[in-house]
Amino acid sequence: MSTAVVDYTREEPVVAGRPTASEIDAVVSAPLDRPPARTWWIAFGITSTMLGIGVVCVAVTLWLGLGVWGVNQPVSWGFDIVNFVFWVGIGHAGTLISAILFLLRQRWRNGIARFAEAMTIFAVMCAGIFPLLHTGRPWLSLYLTPYPNQHALWVNFTSPLLWDVFAVSTYFTVSAVFWYLGLVPDFATLRDRTTHPVKKLVYSIFSLGWRHSSRHWTHFERAYLILAGFATPLVLSVHTIVSFDFAVSVIPGWHTTIFPPYFVAGAVFSGFAMVQNSLIVVRQVFRLKHLITLSTLEKMNKVMIVTGSMVGYAYAMEFFVAWYSGSQFETFVFVNRALGPYAWAYWTMVTCNVVFPQLFWFKKVRTSIPMMFVIAIFVNVGMWFERFVIVVTSLSRDFLPSSWGHYMPSIYDVGIFVGSLGLFFTLILLFVRVLPVISLAEIKAVIPGAQPERHRPH
Amino acid sequence: MEKHLYGLTALFDTPDAVVHAAEETVKAGYTRYDVHAPYPLHGIERTMRLKTSPLGYFALVFGLLGAISAVGLMTWITLVDYPLVIGGKPFWSWPAFVPVAFELTVLLASVLTVVSMIVIYFKFPNNSHPLHDTPFMKRVSSDGFGISIEAADPLFDEAKVHAMLASLGGKEVGAVYFDEADRDHGQKVFDLKFIGVLAGVGIAVAGFAYLALNVLLYLPPFDWMMVQNKLKPQAASTLFRDGIGMRQPVLGTVARGFLPYAFKGKPEEAGKSLANPLPVTQKVLDLGREKYLTFCSPCHGNFGRGDSRLNGQFPNPPTLHSDKVREWSDGSIYHVITEGQNVMPSYAAQVSRDERWAIVHYIRVLQRAQHAKESDLR
Amino acid sequence: MNERNQWRSLHEEQDAGTTPEMKSQEFMDGVTDAFDPETLSPLSRKQFLALMAASAAFAATGCTNYRDKGEIVPYNKKPEEVTPGKANLYASTCTACPQACGILVKTREGRPVKLDGNPDHPVNRGRSCATGQAAILNLYDPARLRAPHTGAAASGTGEVSWDRIDSEAARQLAACIRDGKQIVLMTAPVTSPTAQKLILEFRAAFPGTKVIVYDRFHQETRRSAWELCYGSAALRPVAWEKARLIVALEADILGNEGFTVEQTRAVAGARDIMVSDTFVRLYSVEGTMSLTGTNADYRCRLHPEAQLEFVLALTRAVAAKLKLAAASLPAGPDLAAIAHRRGLPLKTLEHLVDDLVTLRGKGIVYAGSALNTDVHVAVNYLNELLGNTALYGPAEPATAVTVTPPADVASTIADMKAGKVGFVAHLDVNPVYHLPKVLGYAEALKSVRFSVAMTDVENETAQLCTYMLPVHTMLESWGDHTVRTGVISLQQPVIAPLYATRQQEAILLRWMSASTPFSELLYQEYLKRHWESAVFPSLGRLTDFLTFWQMALHDGVVTTPVSAQAPLQFRKDALASLRLQEHPDRYAVVLLASPYLGDGRWANNGWLQELPHPISKVVWDNYAAISPAAARALGVESNDLIEVSTESGKVTLPVFVQPGTAEQLIAVSLGYGRWNAGPVGSNVGVDVTPLLPAGCLTGPRVVRAMSVSKSEGSYALASTQEHHALDDTFVKDFHLKRHIIREGILEEYRKDPHSLGIERKEHESISPRVEFVGVKWAMAIDLNKCTGCNACVAGCNVENNLPVIGKEQVAKGREMQWIRIDRYYSGTPEEPLASHQPMLCQHCDNAPCENVCPVVATNHSPDGLNQMIYNRCVGTKYCSNNCPYKVRRFNFFNFRDHLADGYYQQEPVSLMHNPEVTVRSRGVMEKCTFCVQRIMEARQHATEAGVTFDGKQVETACQQACPAQAIVFGNMHDPGADISRYREHPAGYDVLGELNVKPNVTYLARLRNIHSEKRA
Repeated sequence: MSTAVVDYTREEPVVAGRPTASEIDAVVSAPLDRPPARTWWIAFGITSTMLGIGVVCVAVTLWLGLGVWGVNQPVSWGFDIVNFVFWVGIGHAGTLISAILFLLRQRWRNGIARFAEAMTIFAVMCAGIFPLLHTGRPWLSLYLTPYPNQHALWVNFTSPLLWDVFAVSTYFTVSAVFWYLGLVPDFATLRDRTTHPVKKLVYSIFSLGWRHSSRHWTHFERAYLILAGFATPLVLSVHTIVSFDFAVSVIPGWHTTIFPPYFVAGAVFSGFAMVQNSLIVVRQVFRLKHLITLSTLEKMNKVMIVTGSMVGYAYAMEFFVAWYSGSQFETFVFVNRALGPYAWAYWTMVTCNVVFPQLFWFKKVRTSIPMMFVIAIFVNVGMWFERFVIVVTSLSRDFLPSSWGHYMPSIYDVGIFVGSLGLFFTLILLFVRVLPVISLAEIKAVIPGAQPERHRPH
Repeated sequence: MEKHLYGLTALFDTPDAVVHAAEETVKAGYTRYDVHAPYPLHGIERTMRLKTSPLGYFALVFGLLGAISAVGLMTWITLVDYPLVIGGKPFWSWPAFVPVAFELTVLLASVLTVVSMIVIYFKFPNNSHPLHDTPFMKRVSSDGFGISIEAADPLFDEAKVHAMLASLGGKEVGAVYFDEADRDHGQKVFDLKFIGVLAGVGIAVAGFAYLALNVLLYLPPFDWMMVQNKLKPQAASTLFRDGIGMRQPVLGTVARGFLPYAFKGKPEEAGKSLANPLPVTQKVLDLGREKYLTFCSPCHGNFGRGDSRLNGQFPNPPTLHSDKVREWSDGSIYHVITEGQNVMPSYAAQVSRDERWAIVHYIRVLQRAQHAKESDLR
Repeated sequence: MNERNQWRSLHEEQDAGTTPEMKSQEFMDGVTDAFDPETLSPLSRKQFLALMAASAAFAATGCTNYRDKGEIVPYNKKPEEVTPGKANLYASTCTACPQACGILVKTREGRPVKLDGNPDHPVNRGRSCATGQAAILNLYDPARLRAPHTGAAASGTGEVSWDRIDSEAARQLAACIRDGKQIVLMTAPVTSPTAQKLILEFRAAFPGTKVIVYDRFHQETRRSAWELCYGSAALRPVAWEKARLIVALEADILGNEGFTVEQTRAVAGARDIMVSDTFVRLYSVEGTMSLTGTNADYRCRLHPEAQLEFVLALTRAVAAKLKLAAASLPAGPDLAAIAHRRGLPLKTLEHLVDDLVTLRGKGIVYAGSALNTDVHVAVNYLNELLGNTALYGPAEPATAVTVTPPADVASTIADMKAGKVGFVAHLDVNPVYHLPKVLGYAEALKSVRFSVAMTDVENETAQLCTYMLPVHTMLESWGDHTVRTGVISLQQPVIAPLYATRQQEAILLRWMSASTPFSELLYQEYLKRHWESAVFPSLGRLTDFLTFWQMALHDGVVTTPVSAQAPLQFRKDALASLRLQEHPDRYAVVLLASPYLGDGRWANNGWLQELPHPISKVVWDNYAAISPAAARALGVESNDLIEVSTESGKVTLPVFVQPGTAEQLIAVSLGYGRWNAGPVGSNVGVDVTPLLPAGCLTGPRVVRAMSVSKSEGSYALASTQEHHALDDTFVKDFHLKRHIIREGILEEYRKDPHSLGIERKEHESISPRVEFVGVKWAMAIDLNKCTGCNACVAGCNVENNLPVIGKEQVAKGREMQWIRIDRYYSGTPEEPLASHQPMLCQHCDNAPCENVCPVVATNHSPDGLNQMIYNRCVGTKYCSNNCPYKVRRFNFFNFRDHLADGYYQQEPVSLMHNPEVTVRSRGVMEKCTFCVQRIMEARQHATEAGVTFDGKQVETACQQACPAQAIVFGNMHDPGADISRYREHPAGYDVLGELNVKPNVTYLARLRNIHSEKRA
């Protein structure tokens, strides 16, 4: 096959109504042209305040040391790693939607791909903060990269943390490139729309002199296809490697082979939930209901049932494996999760991740905006707690009862998490102001009648 | 000034129309033409008889490059440059290399492919083009479909092309002219403006890196453990008035293995009651020789003749071959080394007790060398 | 060659052949070759210099970014014994407690950095204790007084000169003599003969001088009982090595009762399964959960007030078994009745009787000093009856300065109040804090005209005096100490006084002879004179005194001949005084010595404050230890507050529910709650001296409580180990189920060494195991010997520059100690069985921590060490997570800066730190290194001496400190080394071996020396 956007006209239209290309341009780029509304300013105020809180907490942490956090012996990973995994997980929806669904010829992705990719990038940025901060001496973080140095010392290639460094940075770079590539034609369109000289200059620079030439389109599509092809295993590998952070260790409750698929499923699960939440708001605010249709959202809900059930299966399986292993350490860890001091966290996780998503079996729920919004929020909460349960319960009670401990976050832990949320939503708010939230070229390509009817085979 | 014609453009309303027009253009044998659409038109490259993009091969090459360099680097580091025992694993524990190798493969393949596309096919850093800012471009970047035929085409004839495009139902058929900047089609990699920007970015990055790595990272509270709250030998200390971190032992105390010298100021007793505890062996004599040459020879000369270069500029150091010294007992010599005598200071601090005895042996050797007995010759 | 043949060197002499030409030509062969112009470098001198200049310039400009590493300050005149970078050892005496152990002080460039036992000392034989180990911190305590200073009673405030002190003291003393006012010296028991002599001379010089001696943890009840029984106050210390059976009655002989270092060494030495025949059986009958109790083979939970009836019953039972006519003893319940009433296992008591009888003459019954005279009398009689007196050693040395009876103390205090006392000198004692509050010493002191306190740090007493006089710490002092007949231990300073301090004896000397000006030598000369006149002649040595003196200082200890001991005559009439009083159903309070703070003297020593209580693992606090049943009765839990009142006073204490505590009993440590101890020690814990009656100055330390009630609020105790192990059935006995602790019964082990069920199997591994060649380090820890005394922890703290982190950080679970003693309970909350296990880095061959460190900051050395590279550590803490033993420690803060406003970052603490060990910054992971700095030093010596390094004579700090010699360290590839024997031993096991991490610390299973039918 030689072209990426194939003929889907047999299916129900992705775009509701029959908007013309110029109408799409108008509605999508509207937010870029008119000054932000009051609601936007309020939202921006809130998120940037959260961001500010985070910045303060980070500053205190850097000045005094990790002691201001709740971490201790034996639980020396707490909110930091929980949040890291949480954000990386969220970052998975974007590439999944834009790459995997692209390869699977899911046209409905075109409406949401751009936004999801943006979220990916922002989420990975949020995630990136934590591994950096959680080190006792962040000013030495260059040691994590293999560069020739006067110690003649390299890095440890057997350490999952090092794999993380490579995986996450690669994932970030590739996602960013993928995103930018998709943006190039839109930049050109914007360039040709705008009258503002500065905007024009900026758009021209980023559009790389694009002129919608079919000779370019062929290369463009090939490149896009290749990227999608690479991004697909990449997105799977990233959370697999994140799961190695735990699976490679000897700690009961971490040391298990089920983690990679379990983590990937969870990542997609939480990612879709987050996309869901944000999209519902965006399409409401920017009147994009006909471009991001209800059926699109419903399809996402279906994905959530699937992944949510996978996660639920994993929870059950963990218990079975623990019991079947015959290792008393393993068995205890899981009994302890369900009955021990952190049972509250465990059961929150189960209800949010396994019970609520099951409601999506009902078409009514699946297609009701408020319902799906609430459930998606629950899923986000639940997935955060999943990471909390995995990290904290396993560490707090491992092999030697003498060195069991208890973990309680400090206000700085919470503050930094709030800050990361702030960063994420601030970036989203900025994004919807300066870039088209929907890929113009892609969406135009799927409006009815966008493709030539006649094919001339040679 | 006369304007240079870039080519003719025509707009079409539907994808079908433009595809049809493209077919006709190809039939007419034009090669330097292009079809413009706001999104990729399905099947257009077949209509235009374009070769499939070779980017796939680029990706293959770059991917392999990434994989090989990753594995190569890790192998070299763990086997050649700095092998370390980590967790009781073999140096070359390849399963651990898989993730990094994979990530590097993906990284290089995807990024470099895109970069090369941008540089080779989009002719980066070229940006401006005659078609830019034309009504034609405004349409095709939004909802129009268009064809442009370049004047550079060998078959190009303005009137003919105009007629053809019109006959194909092209609207707004019109001419597009070069503005002077765009005359040469070459890639402007060495364009001054571009180089300038590059240089600017380079300098900015370098400057930032310098500040970050050489200044910022060494500001408080960042701690590199360069200054530690302890006293190394010969370190200064503000606590003591003399500023010296090292202290003198308390008067009258006795450290293990350092019973005070019993014959302070009693050379006779020393001479009488001290005997050399060391045997005369090659090892001892070598030690004695070494220490003699280090501590004694500067005054007494390499062979104990008192003929060092200090001669004359200093109360002449005595020879060790005088009868007096040769008659001395080992104890007396030891005593002199320990306590000093006349202008000679005590060497107790520099030369350990055993070393002193070894020196005594070596002095005996020197003396005997100067006053060999008959027996020595045989 | 007709000239005289001469030769220049041996070589020359040996090959005479070459001699002529060698002499004929000025230069030897080859020397001149260098001057062949062809081979010379084409570079002209000018060019060369130019190049040099250029490179210098480049270097100068290129190195501008290098950071200043400080200046180098060498010796002006280097002493013979000191070589920079090499350590010196000085024999001296530790005066941290009345045991006065001989110590070897390690100094670096004239600064003490570590102290350990002196192997030549016959009592402690190179062993030491936690307090002694950490005592070095008091030398470098930033809070030390640096010059004489006025106290509250003085007119002005601020520093004063010694001259003024001397003159004023002389004036005051003269005035006292003139207008017939008393002069009072307050002091603790004096172990130094010379100092005793000095005090007597002082009394002679100033007639009407009263010397008040008190000791919070006196042996007076034992002594008075001894006097009643044998007519002499001179106790006969027990020869513990010889004992095959030890019955400790409320006596924590392994904790803090008597000569603990000697006792621990002896008991542990007699529990060595490497030496198959010896294995002492230890009974502990106690109300408080003590180290002795946890280490005992049988522990009986008995209220201290029931001890007398217990001993009497025991005596009768023994007498009956021996068919001896026991002397007329007051009637009382028999063992069965007591067992029934007190809930003791009768079987155990029967075993006890049998053992006492079968092992008579080889056993000892030993009552604690907290118990009253009657119990001691009864115990003496029981030992008489059994012929256990054979285990008594020679009588303790007579002392001129004995503990003052409470009456005299009270009268003196009354005199002070009445203004009859004109001069009070406190010789390094703190009576305002120590003495029972009922005596009202503080008020009395106020009405004394002139009072001085000789102390190294300001304290409660000094605060109220006219002047506080800074005195030398033990490491700056001269002295001689004798606590055992025939043994005199010498004390010499190991560093010149850091500040304008004086030795307290010297101060007295100065006052005695107002004419002589002060000099540092004053007391040193006095000491020497005393020895020359009193000690030296009696020894009949051949050498002159100076040589003898120097050798004595060198060895640190002098043994003198011991005269034959008069046989002991037991006076039966002593038994007549015995009274069994019926005690009402009320709580009693037993006042214990704090495990490490002594009587509170060490309160400002952060290391000691942070040593976990050996049983409860609580740090930085004392508490009321009560039994679970008592807690239920009072309706309290741990961390609640209770109010305890005796007729002397009342205090409010946090509760700690201590399994194994007797009912109706509250055990609480003295030595806490000081209100003026310095930045670290002030207001730590609760001062319980208000509970003390005046009588406790010589009487028992078990006090009847008037009332005990729950009071409002709660108080969080910080402990280094969760204590849920027993209350929580969910996790009960995990240490046994998980084979962390392995225990067995001695008899069965003797029958079949493999009955412990330890199997060593090689686990499968996907990768070939790394082969180590040459020296490879390993450690073994004998759980039979380890008593859990924490000496190793303290030793490690000092050797490896460990920080003090403070209570709230410990509460957060961030303690930094590299080696810890894990304590596990099994059994029931009432009758728990406790096990101690030192846990430190196991230096696993397949160390899980190494795999996960992204920057190889931790990896394996060729000699099998799991090494930590601090400078490389980024602080991901992953290694700590992945350590199954959780022995890695992380610097969450720069703790030195964090504790008490950077208290331990002030001078002169830097002098104390081991120069060979990095002082870690925040954000760095750290852990036990097997004292790699010592290993490297040994390796270096081997290299210097040009011999191959065999790994002998390397001793880790914990091993060196351990009074029980439970820790063995060495090269496991050396078949001759002890460590190899331990690793092969059938009782040796790995903790968590099934993880296949291949730990290199072998534990020897603990064997309980109990009658095996106990099992059924």
